[in-house]
Amino acid sequence: MDPKPKEPLPSSLRVQELICGLKIREVMTPNVITVSRTCTMRDVQTLMKENSITGVPVVDNSRVVGIISMNDIMNALEKGAMKDAVTHWMMGEVQTLAEDMPLSFAISAFNKFSFRRFPVVNKKNELVGILTFRNINLALIRELSRQLREMECQHEASIDLDSLELVKVYPLHRYDFENGGKASSEIKKFLKERGLSAKLLRRIAVASYELEINLVAHSTGGMLSFDINKERVKISSHDRGPGIVDVEQALTEGFSTANEWIRSQGFGAGMGLPNVKRVSDEFAIQSTVGMGTMVNAIIYLNVKEENED
Amino acid sequence: MTLMQIADVLEAELAYGPKGWQKVSVESVFSSDLMSDVLMSDREGMLLITSLSTEQSIRSAGIVGSEVVLIANHKTVTEGMIQLAKELDITLLLTKFPKYESCIRLGRFLGL
Repeated sequence: MDPKPKEPLPSSLRVQELICGLKIREVMTPNVITVSRTCTMRDVQTLMKENSITGVPVVDNSRVVGIISMNDIMNALEKGAMKDAVTHWMMGEVQTLAEDMPLSFAISAFNKFSFRRFPVVNKKNELVGILTFRNINLALIRELSRQLREMECQHEASIDLDSLELVKVYPLHRYDFENGGKASSEIKKFLKERGLSAKLLRRIAVASYELEINLVAHSTGGMLSFDINKERVKISSHDRGPGIVDVEQALTEGFSTANEWIRSQGFGAGMGLPNVKRVSDEFAIQSTVGMGTMVNAIIYLNVKEENED
Repeated sequence: MTLMQIADVLEAELAYGPKGWQKVSVESVFSSDLMSDVLMSDREGMLLITSLSTEQSIRSAGIVGSEVVLIANHKTVTEGMIQLAKELDITLLLTKFPKYESCIRLGRFLGL
């Protein structure tokens, strides 16, 4: 038996690409709070408290000569030595990172040393910033969101009439009936232009629209995503809550928790989820009260005409 | 029957019609204000008669592939509905008759 090597997920590859592509400079906090050699431990403690920080570099002529962490403050406090100059308590041999290093180096440094922060220096060895794990997390989230937006735009820009490949995510907001339905109409148009039969189009559009209306009418907000290839259309709905108390009941025709206002919009007859299930080839729902609901509906495109209903 | 015949029988007014709307053929009629029911319908060449004068009526018709929406009961339509009808290639007609009477008139016309 030869075990197949596990292929990394595309998403983890993307993160790897990011941490190699980003420079420390783009991720660090640039304006660093520092102290000079002559400051006392009490000064550092006050600075930390006022700025909600847990580490302060000691700087002499723009060069980092030491670093004071919360631990050093606690040690000095224990010894009643808060009036001492920082030079007595600081860690003198500071590991710094160069601003033009890739972020991957910083991550290795975090793994190798047990420090929670690294001063960042320029080519002249002058302090230009500080890097913590929080910086890295925030930068990764920011970059991934940006890439996602770009990918969405690219899909919009390069409409290839022959290609049945599409990945698209639509954010949806509570009670936004004005926009509820736009996503489904757009996807239906996309598929119609690619020659899908009227029956298939109707099934896909109905599943998508019911889920879209559910997000608008019942959730506190969420997103509807489409993953389309030549074999199938996968529609996923994710929301942030409130979650369904009894999923079995929600799948029963006629059961509804809709309020009068939703009913006045022509919905809330308790047919939404059962209808999605009816038109889908595969249907799955997961819901946790207080966490949210996730629905996946798949419709295959290569079915024979007589099986379409 | 064609949309032109339907418009005649119901003394309907045109709010929006794509080019050649008069000749669009209608095979079945569905009358409801409940869009949930409209979304359960499974018919070809369907005319939707509703007194729910909202964009969602137009949207729901588009979703199930209906090319005509008739707003009954003298309801006014919004500019948004007309725009959406345009976008989705849906003919939007208005009649003074209520839903029930509209259906009866169409039934009589068809000799039902």
